[in-house]
Amino acid sequence: MKLAPGRFRKIIIVVIFFVWFILSGQSFYQSRHLKEPLVVGEELFQVKRLSDYFPGINGSFNDAKIYILGQNKNGGSILILGGAHPEEPAGRLAAWLIIENVRVKKGRVLVIPTANPSASTSTRPGGAYPPDYSIKTPWGEQKFRQGDRWSNPLDQWPDPEVYIHYPSRQQLAYMDIRNQNRTWPGRPNGTMTEKTCYAMTQLILKEKIDLVIDLHEAELQYPVISTIVVHPKGQDIAALASMMISSEEGFNIGVEFSPEALRGLSHREIGDHTPAIPFLMETPEPFLDATRGKTDQELLLTGKDEFVMKAGKHGLLFEKLDKNGWPIDVRVGRHLSSIIQIIKVWTESNADRPILIENVPHYQDLIKNGIGFYLKDPSKAESGRVFYE
Amino acid sequence: MSAIITILYYFMLGFFSACFIWNFRKTKDWQQEILYLIILLPFLLRLFRLK
Amino acid sequence: MSSTASALIILVAITATYLLARLFRLSTELSLFSAALSGAIIGGYGIPARHLAEGAMTYLDICLIFLTATLFMNLLQAAGGVAFAVRAILQKFYRRKFILFLLLTLLLLIPGALTGAGSITVLITGSLVAVVLRYMGLPDIKIAAIIFIIAGLSAAAPPVSLWAMLTAAGINMPYVGFFLPLLIPCLLGALFTIFILGWKAQPVDLEKALAEIPVPPEKMNWWRLGLPFLVFLALILAGRIFPFSFPILGLPLIFALTALTAYWLSPVRLNLWKISLKTADQLLPLIGTLTCVGILIQIMTLTGVRGLISVSVVTLPAIIVIATLFLTLPVSEAVLMWGAAPVLGVPLALLFNTRGMNPIVALAGMSLIWPLGDALPPTAIIGRLTMEVVGTRKSYYQFLKQCLIPGALIILLGMLMVIFSHKLSFLTVF
Repeated sequence: MKLAPGRFRKIIIVVIFFVWFILSGQSFYQSRHLKEPLVVGEELFQVKRLSDYFPGINGSFNDAKIYILGQNKNGGSILILGGAHPEEPAGRLAAWLIIENVRVKKGRVLVIPTANPSASTSTRPGGAYPPDYSIKTPWGEQKFRQGDRWSNPLDQWPDPEVYIHYPSRQQLAYMDIRNQNRTWPGRPNGTMTEKTCYAMTQLILKEKIDLVIDLHEAELQYPVISTIVVHPKGQDIAALASMMISSEEGFNIGVEFSPEALRGLSHREIGDHTPAIPFLMETPEPFLDATRGKTDQELLLTGKDEFVMKAGKHGLLFEKLDKNGWPIDVRVGRHLSSIIQIIKVWTESNADRPILIENVPHYQDLIKNGIGFYLKDPSKAESGRVFYE
Repeated sequence: MSAIITILYYFMLGFFSACFIWNFRKTKDWQQEILYLIILLPFLLRLFRLK
Repeated sequence: MSSTASALIILVAITATYLLARLFRLSTELSLFSAALSGAIIGGYGIPARHLAEGAMTYLDICLIFLTATLFMNLLQAAGGVAFAVRAILQKFYRRKFILFLLLTLLLLIPGALTGAGSITVLITGSLVAVVLRYMGLPDIKIAAIIFIIAGLSAAAPPVSLWAMLTAAGINMPYVGFFLPLLIPCLLGALFTIFILGWKAQPVDLEKALAEIPVPPEKMNWWRLGLPFLVFLALILAGRIFPFSFPILGLPLIFALTALTAYWLSPVRLNLWKISLKTADQLLPLIGTLTCVGILIQIMTLTGVRGLISVSVVTLPAIIVIATLFLTLPVSEAVLMWGAAPVLGVPLALLFNTRGMNPIVALAGMSLIWPLGDALPPTAIIGRLTMEVVGTRKSYYQFLKQCLIPGALIILLGMLMVIFSHKLSFLTVF
C-alpha cells in the first residue's frame, strides 16, 4: 500500500504534535501532583482542614491543611498564612520553617502553609516560570512547587468578564476572582477561591484568633514593599514591632495602614469582618518585576537581576537592589523575625492572651545557616510526623 | 450550578476541538495543517485537565 | 556574557527568523511560531515543550470567545437576520445621515465596550454596519477604517477595558474611577472618526439598495432577530446586577447560549456542524495568531528579551517616554497584543505614578492608543479581520492610509490625557 504525499505529511505532523502534547502534558501533570513533605515538630497538636470550619469546601482542591501547634487555649492565638500567592515562595517557606521548628510555650500557633493549594499547582501562561524550585539542605534537596498568583483554572473555570467583589461590589479585573488576596472575606456560595476565604474567616471566628499574618512578596517596582500593612486597629502593634525589628533583628521594615478603598485584601477585610488584627507582610522578590531578565529558578532564589537593577538606577524601584540581589534566605528571614517581634509586642500588651514561642530561626540565623539547615529530613522522621502539601 | 457550567465549557472545548480536527483532515495546505494542530494543543491540554 | 548582550542576541535571532520566515512565504502565524522556536534554541533551551505549550494556553479563553461569538454571527447571517436588519435600518433612516451615523456609532461601540474585545465588535455588528455604509456610497476601504477604529475604541470604552484592567491588576490598583476618563474620549474619538471618514456619504438610494440586499426568509421578524441579542444583553446584565446570586457564565458560554437562541429561532433549517466548521476555518488566522503570540511572549519572558524591551523603554527620560508613547504603545500592541499591558503598561503606570501623575487618567489615555496597534504588523489581527469582514480587496497599505487621520487624532487625545492627567483627576469620580 502506498501513501499519498499529503497523507504522509499529515501523519508526520500528527506524530510531532503528539510528542509535544505528551511531553508538555506530562510536565504539567507532574508539577500539579508534586508532593512536598513537611515534617511536623513536637508541638503539633492537631492537623485540621478548612472543611472542618466550612463543610462547603469539602472535596475541593482548596480544602487546605491547618497545622495547630500548641494547645494552651487560655493563651492567645495567631494564624499564619503562607502561599495565598504561591508564586511568592518566601511566605510558604517561612510557614514551613515555623511548623517544623517552633516550640509553643503559651497560646497557640495555627499555620496554613498553602493557603491557596490550587494556585500552587499552576504556573502563569506567558510568565515562563520554572515548574518547581529546590532548596539545598544538609540531607539533600527539597523540591517545592513554583505556583502562581491565581487559582488554577482546572479548579475554577470560567472567569466572569468583570469580577465584582463581595460584599463591597467593587469592580476588579476578571482574573482577580481567582486571586485569594482579592476575595476576602469570602462568600459561602461563591467560587472556590471565595469559599476558601470564607472558610478561613470561619476558622478565625471559631478558633478565636487574635492575630492573622498573611505572608507575601512584591516586585520592587511596586510601592508597597518591605513593609507591614496593617488594619488600623493594629497600628500600635505594627509600629512598635517595626521599631523592635530595627533595633533587635538587624534590618528595617516600614508600616502602612490598610487603605479603605482597596477591597478584598486580607489586611482590610479580616479586620473589618472579624475581631482579629490582620497584618500583611511584603518582602522584595525581583522575580516578579516586569522588567526582569531571564526567568528561572536562580532568579527566584537569588533575586539577582541586571535589568531590574538598571530600573533601580533610574529611580524606578521602591526598594534597593544591588549585585547581592535578594536571596531567599534574607526574604524568609525577614518574615520570620517580623512574626517573632509582632508576637512579642502582642504578648507584652495583652498579658491575658499571651503567645510565647521559641526555636523559630531569626533573620540572622537564616543568613548564617540558610533555610535548608532548618528543613527536616522526611526519610528520618518518625512515622506519623510527615505530612504532604 | 457552577459544576454544570464548567462541564459545558469542557463540552465546548470538545466540540471546537472536533471542528479543528475535521478541518485539519480536509485541508490540503501544509501551513494550515500545522496551524490547526498548534491551536488544538491548548484545547486538548485543558480538555484532558492537564493545564 | 552580560544579560543585556545575551538578550540582545536572542532578540536579533527572533527578529531575523521572523523576517526570514516571511521571506520564505510562511504565514504570519507560523513565522511568529518559528521566531519563538529560534529564540528558545539560541537561548539554550532547545525545544522547550512545556514552555511552548504554556504560552499557547495564554489566550485560550479569548479564543473561545472568538469562536462562540463568530458562530453566533454566522448563524444569524445564515438565518437571514443580517439582511433583515440592514433592510429595516435603511427603510427607516435612509434620508437622515446624522441620525444614521449616531446609530451606527452606538451599534459599533456597544459589543466591544461590554466584552473588552474590538474583534467582537467587528464580528457582531461590523458586517451589518459595513453594508449600511456601503449603500451610503462610501468606498469599502473607508468603511473598513471606520469599523476598525471604532472597534478599537469600543474595546477601550468602559465598562470593560482589558488594557486598563490588566494594568490596574498588575499594580494592585482597583479598577475604579476609569468610567469617565475612558467613556468621554472613546465617544469623542468614535464620532470624529465616522464624521471625518464618512463626510462624503450620500443619502441612500433606497430602491437600488433594497433590490441588491438579499431578501430574508419570509418568517424572519424583529423577534427572531432581536431575541438572541436580548438574551446576550440579559445574561451580561444579570451578572452585573445580581453578581452574588446569578451564576458566573463567562463570555464564551453567554455567546454560545446566544448562538443557540439564534439557531432555534431561525426561520430556515440551519446546519450547525457545517456552520461551525466554516467558523473554525474563518477564525484560523485569528486564533492561530493569538496562540503563536502567546508562545512568543512566553519565550521572550523565558530568555529575558521581554525584560530587555521593557527596561529599555521605561528607563528613557520621562519626557521621551511620554513623547514616544504614540510609537511604543501601538508597536507593543502589534507584537504582544494584550500582553502589552503587563509588559509595558505596568512599568509605565508605575513610572507615571512616581512622577506625580494621575495613574488612572494616564492609563485611560494609554488605553485609547493601544488598540490602534491592532492594525500594525506583525499581528495586525483586528485590521486583517476587519478587511475580511468588510470584504475589501484593496491593499493593506491603503487601509492603513485611511486610518491615519482619525488614528492621529486619537493618539493626540490619548497623549494629552497622559500629559494633563493630574489636571484631569476630577474625571475619576466612578
